[in-house]
Amino acid sequence: MQNNPTHRRHFLTQAAGGLGSIALAALLAEEAWASPEPIPPAPFPLRRKGESGGRAKRVIQIFCCGGVSHIDTFDYKPELIRMDGKECKKVFDTFFAQPGNLMKSPFSFQQHGKSGKWVSELLPHLAGRVDDITFLCSMKAKSANHTPATFQMNSGFTLNGFPCLGAWLSYGLGTVNQDLPAFVVLPDPRGLPAGGAINWTSGFLPATHQGTAFNPKGNPVDNLFPAGDVNAADRQAALGLLGTMNQEFGTANPGDSALAARIRAYELAAWMQVSIPQVVSFESEPEHIKKLYGIDDPVAGGFARNCLLARRLLEKGVRFVQLYHGGAFGSPRINWDAHEDIVENHTKQARSMDQPVAALLTDLKQRGMLDDTLILWTTEFGRTPITQGVGKPGRDHHPFAYTCWMAGAGLKPGFSYGSTDEIGYDTAENPVSVYDFHATVLHLLGIDHTKLTYYHNGTRRRLTDVHGEVIQGILR
Amino acid sequence: MHRCLFALLPLALLGALALAKRESRLWSLQPVRLPHAPTVKNAAWVRNPIDAFVLAKLEAKGLKPAPEADRRTLLRRLSFDLTGLPPTPQEIAAFVSDTRPNAYEKLVDRLLASPHYGERWARHWLDVARFGESHGFEYDRLREHAWHYRDYVVNALNADKPYDQFIREQVAGDVLESAGEDGVIATGFLVAGPQDEAGKGAPGLQVRLRAREEELEDMIGLVGQTFLGLSVNCARCHDHKFDPIPARDYYRLKSALAGAQPGNRSVLTQKQAKRRDEQAMVLRGQQAACQGELRRIEEPIRARLLQQQGATSRSLPTTPQPLLRWTFDDLPGGRLTLDGKSGRFQSEPLAVEIREKTLESWVSLADLNQHGGSVLTLEADGGAPFDAIVFGERQRGKWISGSEFYNRTKDLEAAVETVTPGELVQLVSVYHADNRIEVYRNGKPYATAYTPVSENGTLRTYAAGKSHVLIGPRHTGSGDFLHGEIEEARLYNRALSAAEIAESFRSAPFHVAPEALEAAFTPDERKQRKTLTAESTRLAAELKALETPTLTYATSSQQPQPTELLLRGDVQSKGEIVTPGGLSALTAYSPHFGLAADSPEAARRLALANWLTDSRNPLTARVMVNRVWQGHFGRGIVGTPSDFGNNGESPSHPELLDWLATAFSGPGAWSLKKLHRAILLSSTYRQSGQFDPKAAKIDADNHLLWRFSPHRLEAEAVRDSMLAISGQLNLALGGPSFRPFTVSNYGSDFYQLVDKDTPEFNRRTLYRMGVQSARNPLLETLDCPDPSTKTPKRTVTTTPIQALALMNDSFVLRQSRAFATKIIHEAGSAPSAQITAVYTRALGRPPTPTERTRALAHLKAHPLDSLCWALFNSSEFLYAK
Repeated sequence: MQNNPTHRRHFLTQAAGGLGSIALAALLAEEAWASPEPIPPAPFPLRRKGESGGRAKRVIQIFCCGGVSHIDTFDYKPELIRMDGKECKKVFDTFFAQPGNLMKSPFSFQQHGKSGKWVSELLPHLAGRVDDITFLCSMKAKSANHTPATFQMNSGFTLNGFPCLGAWLSYGLGTVNQDLPAFVVLPDPRGLPAGGAINWTSGFLPATHQGTAFNPKGNPVDNLFPAGDVNAADRQAALGLLGTMNQEFGTANPGDSALAARIRAYELAAWMQVSIPQVVSFESEPEHIKKLYGIDDPVAGGFARNCLLARRLLEKGVRFVQLYHGGAFGSPRINWDAHEDIVENHTKQARSMDQPVAALLTDLKQRGMLDDTLILWTTEFGRTPITQGVGKPGRDHHPFAYTCWMAGAGLKPGFSYGSTDEIGYDTAENPVSVYDFHATVLHLLGIDHTKLTYYHNGTRRRLTDVHGEVIQGILR
Repeated sequence: MHRCLFALLPLALLGALALAKRESRLWSLQPVRLPHAPTVKNAAWVRNPIDAFVLAKLEAKGLKPAPEADRRTLLRRLSFDLTGLPPTPQEIAAFVSDTRPNAYEKLVDRLLASPHYGERWARHWLDVARFGESHGFEYDRLREHAWHYRDYVVNALNADKPYDQFIREQVAGDVLESAGEDGVIATGFLVAGPQDEAGKGAPGLQVRLRAREEELEDMIGLVGQTFLGLSVNCARCHDHKFDPIPARDYYRLKSALAGAQPGNRSVLTQKQAKRRDEQAMVLRGQQAACQGELRRIEEPIRARLLQQQGATSRSLPTTPQPLLRWTFDDLPGGRLTLDGKSGRFQSEPLAVEIREKTLESWVSLADLNQHGGSVLTLEADGGAPFDAIVFGERQRGKWISGSEFYNRTKDLEAAVETVTPGELVQLVSVYHADNRIEVYRNGKPYATAYTPVSENGTLRTYAAGKSHVLIGPRHTGSGDFLHGEIEEARLYNRALSAAEIAESFRSAPFHVAPEALEAAFTPDERKQRKTLTAESTRLAAELKALETPTLTYATSSQQPQPTELLLRGDVQSKGEIVTPGGLSALTAYSPHFGLAADSPEAARRLALANWLTDSRNPLTARVMVNRVWQGHFGRGIVGTPSDFGNNGESPSHPELLDWLATAFSGPGAWSLKKLHRAILLSSTYRQSGQFDPKAAKIDADNHLLWRFSPHRLEAEAVRDSMLAISGQLNLALGGPSFRPFTVSNYGSDFYQLVDKDTPEFNRRTLYRMGVQSARNPLLETLDCPDPSTKTPKRTVTTTPIQALALMNDSFVLRQSRAFATKIIHEAGSAPSAQITAVYTRALGRPPTPTERTRALAHLKAHPLDSLCWALFNSSEFLYAK
């Protein structure tokens, strides 16, 4: 971390063009008044007395939009082969209400690693990392409808306007870096998820905790640099003038801490103008790392670049990075919503997700970061073991059972928790609710999920509402 | 004595008493009582009873109020507080030099009478009402007509509409005939929150039910929090954990609101709509007479011409040859007449399987504004799948090829239908083997051919014996019906070519070319026909004007099923039936509405509205005066304005709250403007923001009001001020929102923000279209809330991202330049005059000598707009003291 002002000034002096001098001006003008303070953590204890903190310091969440079929990826169901084409008498809660017959996975499965985890041929790279992964094979969602289910995976609630996990963590843990946002979102380069920024809202939490989406083109972050031409010398002089104005106003109005905070905010803004361009530039990355992620791959390259950027952001102290794999529900499909044809859809989606995510695991592990980083791989629900429509090759939404996984800090690696019945219709052992999932994530970060609260409209709101149990069985 | 009494009471009653005792402790449920204003030592400071209540508390702690603020400060504070705009230099000069003893009162009255008062205070209300102009959830589609509700709130505030009426209209205005159009628009309140269109339209029943249940929870939560300051929604799954609200009460309220449905609707009330329908009926009668007369002239000639064409019989083969053909010669007028309400025709089951196909229909439309009926549908028994030629379903006046869930449907780029009643038009829809779909009108392509994207290359099959043809409704089960007449319909089991369709149009046996007809009339007939046609056109236009409704996004009344208590809030775990009612914890009057479980929808919401505004309801007035107090001081007497329950804060000045509530709700009152005036004229409000370290030690957060707490301007006020100061502000009032974005669609609607320098974009921020996923980085970083969240109180944050927005946003840069240009134009080229002008405009005061010297030095090397930029970024600009 480069929080040493002298070090930073050295860099700034060398930075080319107007940007360096603008940021430098602010830094020099304001350095005398206040040293930057990170956003503080929540002003109350986040865990029970005597309980130790978690090992995880930071989180990457990969969200696969559209609903990844558990039975075609990580939840091997040989019984379905036998029952292929047979009628299924069970009641389904699907979106389209067009129940077909049972369909075996069209993909072949093999066991991998020391853990012997069955993984389908769709995911050859992730299959090579199964010994680092903790699978949750018995997830249950509350909705068979994409957006409410996505909201729940993100925020614990099936409605708009509730703070998502990243916002809660920004609020609960504060920041360790001062020159990057605490919570960064990297949307799929193919398109935003349905609802766009609705998905990374801070809801009723203060706007500070809102996710900051990085733009693939132009300003990496909105308003990082002036829109249009601004003369660097004019800006530099005006910043000096502004600093004096704000200092004098602060002195004349004692007792208002926000005035001092404003002065600090301008200083941090200047630092961001340096840090963000630095972090999004891959110049310093060696070739073998770029290759590991596959950033030049014509299909997976866009998402691969985001995975590499996510690692760089974590290294710089960002608390939570959310990566979307897949966008909205337009046509052609750019997500995992395989209503029409599971083979065509999942083959295509897996192709661009598999290698970059596996690379992220490899890369974090080789840097020792997997010890205190948590990786979450999530989707909103699974897909039906029956087809959508008789004789059709697609699968509909399935909230009763699906698979997510975690990896990293504090978890049993190479471990599968929970199971589904012989056809993947319902959970069999150890069902895991989304509340349990969130409670466990918070636990791994050293937070008791019942203690992380924010008062809003009559309720001390929690990420886990009034539910949630930590999944003890996956903890190391 | 208590002990004796307890000994006599049965255990159950004891339990009830204990519960009642716990409940009775909740202060907010106690009746409002008019307290006496306390006596204070410094009686000279007391301008009205508000001051006595405040000063008594200060004196009890040994604190003194801050001295009165100077006139510039008061003017700037009041201007922002009441209008959200800074005072102009002329207003400052006038007020500072106004020596009349009532100058301040005059100022308060002037600002309260300003139309901008309503704009400013509407924003506070819209925050609470979670007013959004898109649906959120997956599709996030625009609510084009939601702005009527925003204008309703602005106008109600400006007109000082009595608050009880304001409540009644927002809860039940659509069924409150006396409220007229205003009442219908006001119910936009109930449905202003996010709406899960995907869920509510899902084919899966459970998905649909849950989406509606969530929508109702949002609505019940809104009513409880807004008017009662209680989080009733917490009782959906179980009795409220902290407040005396059993789950049964939640379902009673649900029963009262269960028929409120969101959507675009006409602004007319039921009675107005009925009157409109009667007028339309008269016009239609006149039009029918006119048409009849026209036909009387035309028919003999048409018959003659048809005879000459050699088409004397329907039995003649048509070109090309259809698989099946339906004619209606045996019906009156030789046509199938469809009334648009229930009229339908259904064929026998088809004997052969259909894949590739062409649908053709000859139709006359009775009404070009009709919605979603079909002139010919091929469907599987049961209604899905189907393919149909549908009129006016997704775009008014246009044809589409309809299908189940729009699977093969696309909005077509085509002209709006103009055919006059009685006139036949030919519609053809062709379904090619490669999935391509073409629509033709009168023998010519209607729009560009397209290939439906979701079909994955498999053409629909309509099985022999299990499919049929339908005319009238779009499909089996649809509530939309065609209004018009069908001359003939044909089904082909192959895709016709463009040439074949043109030929079919030309050679139809009942088709007489308009030119041929025209040529055959006598001059007299021609003249008569011209008059009649003109009359018919005039009537059609009049009808259209009458029947084209002004739409508003609001509540429609739909009779609900009786409400069942749902165990744990689960739509599949139904319990007992409950009847409409209010909260049982309010014991001064009955929570029962006296309505049966199946009572009419309108009666339910009317009863709720009356229950909310009953003078015995202790919460309604308390909650609202507290909101107003918060609006003026930045903090309410109760710090949790939408929570007067056990989890909320206790009032800092309970007697003052009750004094205000009594004054506010007294007979014939409910006047918000009188309430504002009382607060604003108090000495309490006129204090300066002077900091007192001694007082801060005792009361750091200034709950006791020993000074006026300075606060940062809200996002809207920051943006509006920049526009006002730069001279760019467009003060146009009301109307549709401006749209600072372009829209693209990829399953969901996506909004790409644009920033333009046009008068429309320079309107007040209130008029910026509030789309859930199109939040503006400048406004958002200044804590403009997520529109889907009920926000009774905004947070104030200071972040580097906010600093970046104020530094670099294109809007701020443009306003800085416009400000400089304006000053150069007005104050001339002398730097000193420019400096005086920019300080006075931006900060409401002239620069100090030091500031002037500093600014002069700056302007020697740098342009004026960089000084303007610094002022727009300054803390003094962003704070009201």
